[in-house]
Amino acid sequence: MVTPPSSEDDAAATIIVEQLERVYPGGLRAVDGVDLAVAAGEIYGFLGPNGAGKSTTVRILTTLLRPTGGRAQVAGYDVVKQASQVRRSIGVALQEAALDPLMSGRELLQLQGALHGLRRGESKRRAEELLERVDLVAAADRLLNTYSGGMRRRLDLAMALVHRPSVLFLDEPTTGLDPVSRSSLWTELRNLNNEGTTIFLTTQYLEEAEQLADRVGIIDHGRIVAEGTPEELGRLVGEPGLYVKLLDESQSERARELLAVHGAVSDRTAGGLTIRTALGAQAIAPIVRTLDEARIEVDAVEVENPTLDDVFIAVTGHRADADVAEPSP
Amino acid sequence: MSSFALERDVATQSRVIVALAKRALRVQLRRAQFLLPSFLLPLLLLAVIASGTSAAQQLPGFPSTGSYVGFVVPGTIMQGTLLAGLMAGIAIAGDIEGGFFDRLLSAPVNRASIVLGRVLGTALIGVAQAILFLSVALLLGADFSGGVIGVALTILLAALSAAAAAGLGATIALRTGSLSLMQNLFPFVFVLLFTAPAFFPRALLNPVLETISVVNPLSYVVEGMRGALFENAALGSVWGGFVAGAGSVVLTCLLAVWAMRSRVQS
Repeated sequence: MVTPPSSEDDAAATIIVEQLERVYPGGLRAVDGVDLAVAAGEIYGFLGPNGAGKSTTVRILTTLLRPTGGRAQVAGYDVVKQASQVRRSIGVALQEAALDPLMSGRELLQLQGALHGLRRGESKRRAEELLERVDLVAAADRLLNTYSGGMRRRLDLAMALVHRPSVLFLDEPTTGLDPVSRSSLWTELRNLNNEGTTIFLTTQYLEEAEQLADRVGIIDHGRIVAEGTPEELGRLVGEPGLYVKLLDESQSERARELLAVHGAVSDRTAGGLTIRTALGAQAIAPIVRTLDEARIEVDAVEVENPTLDDVFIAVTGHRADADVAEPSP
Repeated sequence: MSSFALERDVATQSRVIVALAKRALRVQLRRAQFLLPSFLLPLLLLAVIASGTSAAQQLPGFPSTGSYVGFVVPGTIMQGTLLAGLMAGIAIAGDIEGGFFDRLLSAPVNRASIVLGRVLGTALIGVAQAILFLSVALLLGADFSGGVIGVALTILLAALSAAAAAGLGATIALRTGSLSLMQNLFPFVFVLLFTAPAFFPRALLNPVLETISVVNPLSYVVEGMRGALFENAALGSVWGGFVAGAGSVVLTCLLAVWAMRSRVQS
């Protein structure tokens, strides 16, 4: 008998992870007490460098690996005790789009349908629908070894959707893709999310997390070191900046004195000042007015929001695309 | 589980096994490096034996089977099915290294079905091999006094042999997960073959090989094929062949499922 989610809070969250641990034989502690909760309908970005514990966490949540401590629930089911129910509820596209190169796109989709218990006719119909959805109808009967990286990723996503899962796990779905393929995959993920699918996405790309995720968790050395919306995380770095470029460089000293009332001012380039203010873009008008009243001409004003890259460096001390010491399992 | 749920589960898992067997067949037959060892190499050996070593039949203690090719073809089938089993192991190791295996494991599929799909696919390859090798043997002058029933029983024994070899290949692949290790197991196929009376009767094996052949289940399968093909119990017991073959299938499949469970839990 399947036990339903235990409380209203749990029911609201599609993924619940508590004190999750995974220690590999040999002592490597890949996941070291991770806590997180993902609400239904959310896109959760799981960010971290290679070897930080992202993939190990995903493997546990997708029932491919047992945790050595803590617990995790996906779609209301325990990943260890109710692994089969978890597998019925999730779609999984793991790193590197592992697809058999000697099968065609259509064959792979139909096989995936059979693996999820669809009957032959149903599996064929679903394969056609998905080929259309990911724009692979023309290539459907070609062997995978003729597909480009972008086509493989699209097929991989389609395979994860065969059984209409409520939760989708994507492990670095756009690694190695060109910008056009990446952008088209992002659009498809947004569409899926709009249709109600909860998405748990690991990525090394800060831009990807900023573009897609409602909330972001940053993992480093097996621990969550920061979590929140991209905006909340941005605030960890400090107040947003406004960059003001003056037409006349010689007026920068005077401008700096006048603008001090709006926030902390620093020189960035000759004739360019950065003002840090909690008001962000709302401070543009008063700043321009102050300069205008003093007859200081403004060439350009730009808002400089802190990026996740800034957050990442602030919380981990290194860049997101750096490899950490431990190898990825 | 209610009987309805059980029936539905059995039907679902049967569909999974058939789908995986179809994939195994399809992909193996598209892979040239598979066809060469599994189909052509045994045929080459059969041709060499047929043309070069038929004088062995004159040795004292060699049973009468008409032509030497007829005597040897069960050994050829055994060789082909063992190589097909090794290729099944190589394919599984390739799936593990390439990540496709994770896709199978993340689906709501019984672990045993994953093994059985591969085993069934390989058994069907064993059937194709037996039909091909027996046809070539007939063309080379073999005369099977056991008739159609003898041939049919031999084909079934070939399917069991291929299934058992696939179970063994799957066990090693799942335990090690190493493609290169699987590829290096090629010589062991010949160790298994030469410690069974594949090409010579048991009485003509040297004492050490003869002793080993007693515990090698392939001995009983290959002799069972001869017993069926020539309808001659002195050449081997058909039922002995089926018991050894089916026992090996059950044992190797259980080992493979156990290896799979430890792989997922590790």
